[in-house]
Amino acid sequence: MAEAALPGTASAAPPAPRRLPSLAEALLSVLAVIATMIFLFPIYWALSQSLRDPIETFTVAGFGIPWIDFEPTLDNWRDQLAIPETRRALANSTVIATGASLLALLLGTPAAYALARFRFRLIPNRDLTVWFLSQRVLPPVATVVPFYLVMRTLGLLDTQLALVLLNATFILPFVVVIVRQTFLDLPRELEEAALVDGASFWGAFWRVALPLAMPSVAASGLIVFSFAWNDFILAITIASREAITVPMHMAGAVDTRGVQFWFMSVRAMIAMIPPVIVALLAQRYIVRGLTLGAVKG
Amino acid sequence: MWTSRARFFFLLPAVVWIFAFTLFPLGYSLYLAFYKVETRTEVTRIQEPLLDAAGEPVLRPDGTPRTRSVVSKEQRSIAEFVGLANFRRLWVDPQVHEAVRVTLLFVLMAVPTQLALGFLLALLFNQRIVARPVLRTAMLLPIFATPIAVAYLFFTIFYEAGGPLGWTGIPFLSDPFWALVSVAIVDVWQWTPFCFLVFLAALQGVPDELVEAARIDGASGLDILLRVLLPLLQPVVLIILLLRLAEALKLFDIPFALTGGGPGIATQSYSFLAFRTGLRFFDLGYASAMAYGLLIIVMLIVTFFFRRLRQSYG
Repeated sequence: MAEAALPGTASAAPPAPRRLPSLAEALLSVLAVIATMIFLFPIYWALSQSLRDPIETFTVAGFGIPWIDFEPTLDNWRDQLAIPETRRALANSTVIATGASLLALLLGTPAAYALARFRFRLIPNRDLTVWFLSQRVLPPVATVVPFYLVMRTLGLLDTQLALVLLNATFILPFVVVIVRQTFLDLPRELEEAALVDGASFWGAFWRVALPLAMPSVAASGLIVFSFAWNDFILAITIASREAITVPMHMAGAVDTRGVQFWFMSVRAMIAMIPPVIVALLAQRYIVRGLTLGAVKG
Repeated sequence: MWTSRARFFFLLPAVVWIFAFTLFPLGYSLYLAFYKVETRTEVTRIQEPLLDAAGEPVLRPDGTPRTRSVVSKEQRSIAEFVGLANFRRLWVDPQVHEAVRVTLLFVLMAVPTQLALGFLLALLFNQRIVARPVLRTAMLLPIFATPIAVAYLFFTIFYEAGGPLGWTGIPFLSDPFWALVSVAIVDVWQWTPFCFLVFLAALQGVPDELVEAARIDGASGLDILLRVLLPLLQPVVLIILLLRLAEALKLFDIPFALTGGGPGIATQSYSFLAFRTGLRFFDLGYASAMAYGLLIIVMLIVTFFFRRLRQSYG
């Protein structure tokens, strides 16, 4: 019996996890690391530029590694965050993206449930789902002119409310399609048992199905938060001063004095960090989410 | 049990919402597309009685109330029915032709590159490599990076005098052709990771036995790729192609930030042109007609693909 535990003897145990990679694997790993570094370079470059003294923007040698190629400073960050417009943009984007996501979840989750559980006769469920899905590929530019006119008539131009409503519209189909898939993956017997015991449909949805679907509902909330945060075309259609969002504020980094790379880099980082972090929290759901449920990751 | 009337209570709010916020605006812009809309700013001056802090009118010595003039500006749109004139103009407008050319060229450069690169990366990451979860997570970052910020970021990278790619001597942003290539590069940077991720997920779903069996039957690596993996991944390729095509045709943020549509109109995409026409020059009727052109093309692509995709939503 003791022999089986000796290394090199008949392999009853699964291959040892700590074996050294072969040469081919090592080469492939190096290749993968290089590929990843290429894709991370622009983000790294923004970070590097944001930490430089403005006069060093173009003079830093090599890859601009902080502490090696230059002495990093947080002055650009401090300067940018001190500007009231930056803070307003951050506050607006937070309110708008959060509001739009919550609104989309509020409307979308019950609809997703309806598509996953109930049977519609006049229009089959599948066609209803595809109809929701087709909203997702709608080019926003096709709707910005009417949106602008409607919001002008309602006196909602340059308000957070208008942007909450419009962003919610564009992310709603996403929520419906993703959450529907989650409900489909849950056994319906649990809810049926609750219904037999006298629960209402709303009760079965709210107390039985929704808690089970919560991880996926939350994940799709996070993903659509990123979408709404990243929106630009709706923001420049509606906002001008009060309701500017972070991407719009970003676009203001180019002013008459020319492009200020150091500010631009700080603003780019400020814009990118929240959606990236939020999306990473929902990592497990990203493949399914981005392919609108067509591919399970 | 699952055909109760309650189903409408669940579904209708979302449906009504989409009708109100998508179909109504689309209907409205279809209506606008048949009009020539001119927006004028009308300035009106009204004499209003001047009030003091207590809200009482301030009187002149002669007893009449003092007034102040209030200037109000109002944007007023005047619409004139022009029938199909906007659509006819769309057909012959050289700016539109150029924008269509730019957009299609962009799609042809960016989308196949993303798919191919993404697939290659997925094949690479599907091998046994060190620290795969970490690298895979790092590859996710570009997907959710704010497009407008990414475009400005690349502006600093493509900066020809002193940027990190300055040594190549390539006129990234000043040459009309290269400017479009640069726009495509940014899009490829942002969306290759998406294709990669989806392909990787699909590859990992391919049962190992299948590949093993092919290998035992004497298939070469290339055979396995072309005869086993690609046919299995075909539905996934279609989905990615559909999503990327629909997205790429909407190209707006990158040229807006990276090139401003320039040099000249060399990177003025169709969406960008429609946006400018509508919300910068306020030629609302024409912009609506333009938007419809894009909408129809996107819808055609979507319908074409959805025929094949409907099964996955059964």
